[in-house]
Amino acid sequence: MIRVAAVGDIHMGPDSQGLLRPAFDTLPDCADLLLLAGDLTRHGTQEEARVVAQEVRGLPVPVVAVLGNHDHHDEQPEKVTAILQDADVTVLEGEGTIVECDGTRVGIAGTKGFCGGFVGRSAGEFGEPLMKEFVRYTRRSADGLRTALEELGRQGCDVRVALTHFSPVADTLAGEPPEIYPFLGSYLLAEAIDTAGADLSVHGHAHMGTEHGMTAGGVRVRNVAQPVIRRAFNVYQLHTAV
Amino acid sequence: MRPLADHAGGGGQAGPAAENVEYRVAHLHDRLAAEELGELGVRAEMRAGAVVVTGTVPSAQCRETVLRTVREELAGLAVHTDVLVAENASPDHAEDLP
Repeated sequence: MIRVAAVGDIHMGPDSQGLLRPAFDTLPDCADLLLLAGDLTRHGTQEEARVVAQEVRGLPVPVVAVLGNHDHHDEQPEKVTAILQDADVTVLEGEGTIVECDGTRVGIAGTKGFCGGFVGRSAGEFGEPLMKEFVRYTRRSADGLRTALEELGRQGCDVRVALTHFSPVADTLAGEPPEIYPFLGSYLLAEAIDTAGADLSVHGHAHMGTEHGMTAGGVRVRNVAQPVIRRAFNVYQLHTAV
Repeated sequence: MRPLADHAGGGGQAGPAAENVEYRVAHLHDRLAAEELGELGVRAEMRAGAVVVTGTVPSAQCRETVLRTVREELAGLAVHTDVLVAENASPDHAEDLP
């Protein structure tokens, strides 16, 4: 059994240093790894990234993250990534990583993802260049997620987790105004997950959404935005094949 | 027919648009996103003649800033707020996914 701890949307700033660390210090007792589902900062500044890095530095469980839209706001996501990497956080964007937990190989494929909406109510790759690029950006992100999951499968992972910031399904957005669903996620992410296969999909972004959902292909989805789970993190126990 | 300038509140005076509660709520959203908080997770909407402001923010200091901004932007309006601070406790159980 693998115990996956996850949280997103912790939105740290200078005033929040130390708020999460007491809970993170309990991780070795209850989880094998920690996933951070993006929006770790408020504006994506280096100062805020250093607060996040300090909060997770030296934790005795592996920490794997994707960035969120807030982490891009200052338009230097590569610097945010570098600061987190310096604190031993594995930051994924269109790629995967494998964590060994007591002989079990846990593969995590990650991407920030993007918007576009859900089947029948989604943006199309048509018209103005800006509109086409909007959808293509999401498509590239979904393709990166699919290829990363497929590669983790080829590498013989016992468990595979898809980690995104934007939501792959509408289920976990329940509670948000339906009018803004197209800005909260895209079915292209779910299609990628269902095509490649995964045991769990974890995302954030939708603060007023709900925790539980499922892709059309039956993969369980969890919205771990901190305002949704109302804890420092949640833990999901995944069973490996015997 | 009155000149358009009267409707638009010309000469730098606040016109009907500036008094429209709907636009004031929109401007509150803009300020919360643009200023120090970068806050996109607070919802403000009209309900029965009042503005209801809800959401969860990362810290007590953020909550104070949100409430101060709401008071400034929506001065003179009936406002109900229910802005929570994110909870930072460890979970007391795990979810089993067989």
